[in-house]
Formats: sequence, C-alpha cells, structure tokens
Amino acid sequence: MSDLRLDATQLDRYSRHVIMDEIGPEGQQRLLESSVLVVGAGGLGSPAIQYLAAAGIGRLGIVDDDVVERSNLQRQIVHGDDDVGRPKVESAADYVGALNPDIDVEPHETRLTADNVATLVDDYDVVLDASDNFGTRYLLNDHCVLTGTPLSHGAIYRFEGQVTTFTNERGTESDTDSPCYRCLFPEAPEPGTVPDCATTGVLGVLPGTVGCIQATEVVKYVLGKGELLEGRLLMYDAMDMTFETVDVLSNPSCPVCGDEPAIESVEDVSYEGSCEISAD
Amino acid sequence: MEIELRFFATFREAVGQKERVETFDDGASVGDVLASLESTYDGLEGQLLEDGDDGVAIRPQLSVLKNGRDVTHMAGVETELKDGDRLSVFPPVAGG
Repeated sequence: MSDLRLDATQLDRYSRHVIMDEIGPEGQQRLLESSVLVVGAGGLGSPAIQYLAAAGIGRLGIVDDDVVERSNLQRQIVHGDDDVGRPKVESAADYVGALNPDIDVEPHETRLTADNVATLVDDYDVVLDASDNFGTRYLLNDHCVLTGTPLSHGAIYRFEGQVTTFTNERGTESDTDSPCYRCLFPEAPEPGTVPDCATTGVLGVLPGTVGCIQATEVVKYVLGKGELLEGRLLMYDAMDMTFETVDVLSNPSCPVCGDEPAIESVEDVSYEGSCEISAD
Repeated sequence: MEIELRFFATFREAVGQKERVETFDDGASVGDVLASLESTYDGLEGQLLEDGDDGVAIRPQLSVLKNGRDVTHMAGVETELKDGDRLSVFPPVAGG
C-alpha cells in the first residue's frame, strides 16, 4: 500500500467504493487516474456526467455546442433554471465543480466534426456517446473503431432506449472480435425519417435510466470488473418496464470493422446524411 | 405457420402495435415476411427491403432478429422460418 495516494478526504468521500473488494483503494485510484469524454450534455449526458464525477473519474471532458433551453430541464438534470441561455458545457462544468473538487473538468464548447474528432477524442481513455443525432453517432463510432477507443453507446426514442458497449479491442487473442455500431446498422436512416425528441417528445426519466447504465459500463470498464454489454445490445422499454438483450456479433462485411473495410478514415464518410461512404 | 412479430421505435409506430402474431405459408423466409409487412403497412413501404447487387436485401438502416439473433449472420432474407419463430424488427435511434 506504499503507493496509495488517496488522501484522508478521498478515503472518506469514496469509502463506499474503497470498502468493496471489487474496487478497493486501488480501483478508486484507477478511477481517479482515468479520463472520459462525454459527448453531449443533454438527457443522457446529464446523469452520466453526474455519476462519473461522483465516482471520481479524474478527468472529465464534456463536448456540446448548445445552450440550455427551458424545455431541456424536464430531463437534462445537470442544468438548472438559472442556467437557461448558458452554454451547456459551462453549466455542466459548474455542476461537476460543485459536486467533486477532485475532478478536472474540461468543457469543449463545440460540435464534434470529422475535422476535430481526433483532437477531442484521442486525449481520453473512454468515450461516452450521449449525442442526439446520427451524424455524431456514426462519426464517433468510426473514429473509435479506427483508433481502438472504447465507446459507450446509448440512445433514446420516446419510451425506449438502446445501450451497448464497444470496447473496440481487435486483433487480440480474444476468440471473437469486438463488434461496432455499423455491424448492427451499417448506415443511418435518411435525414428526416427518424424524428427527434423535439418532434416526438420523450419521457423525461428515460435518458436518466439509459445514461446511468452507460455510466455504470464506463466505471466497470475503467475498473476492469464485471461483464460489459460487449456483444450485447440492451433494449429498454419504459412503458412495459422490460429490459432485453440481443446478441451483437461482428459483421465480416461491416464497412468499418469488417474484413475488407471501405472506411479507412472518417474523411471517407459524409456524416451529414445517411453516413454512407462517400461516392468519391 | 404462425410467426410472432415484434416492432421497435419508428417501426412500432408504423404498425401501431408492439407485437402481433401473423400466419404465413409454411416455408416462408424472412424476406417473404418483410415483403408482406411492407405491403400491409403503408408506413413500412420501402423501409425494410431494397434491391441490392445480389438481389433483394435487408436495408442497411435496420436490424432484423430471428429469435434474438441478427439474420445477417444467418442467410439474410433467405433465412428460413418455422412455426413459432419470433422476428424482431428495429431501427437505430439517435435521441440523447
């Protein structure tokens, strides 16, 4: 224990972690030394940011280019009424600062694009996708596959949620390669065919459940403990209160992680439309 | 034979139900069932199948599961069905 660096305040703050064999002081140290990028400070990002900060994820990046609107507050619980009109990353960073002074919070007030994805993502150990559009989701998937970055995926629609974890560990001694989002859905629906939350509405507590599951997966990944949702898509139906998992297998013809991938760079894809490979 | 059909997200809205059981001719394939659904529900027309290089294929914007396994890893639209099989049709969703 000579290398234990938790101080007395931290031993107190994280005592319910430290007391468990699965985490212990070493696991807590690991959390404090880890870095996670949360893309989106909205419905999914709010609970994820809160629990990752509370858990002691030492460096927490937050990407979002929106400002807080009053209609966000029904579900985006990292923001308060006084934050309406403020950049979401500022509001979220203030929340984290007030919750846990151990955390270095890094707000990135920008939209993720093919031009900045490497600069933003490559500085973090794990990415948590809490975005609200297909373009960002496919961009994150492709970049994380190409760079071997672990990615937590969560998405919501009205009363339903989908969540899974892509470790993006390939070429190792594991029996099966890690699947990716394009193994499930090679292309995004055409723009306008899947309405967003503003159009269809969304149960406010739904992203709370899904975002908490994503945070759970990230904490487990950092600790190296438990069974991840790797190779499994969890589908949650809030109305029926059912959770079911379906297997997600690597697709040999996947355009980004398959045997002969057509996507070798995020520059190969137009993320404005169906996220298919550019014709040229 | 009877097939249990399950729909998620936008497909659920197009059909108006989460689950239904429909009868198909013995020997019907996944492609047969999806083609039948497209012709039955206006909101599904053109949403499930497309003409690919090798004939009719499942569109790349959805996943179709037979008893919880993606038919992509079976025989795709040619995947055979038997009485009592459960077919799930779901799209990606993007909300956050």
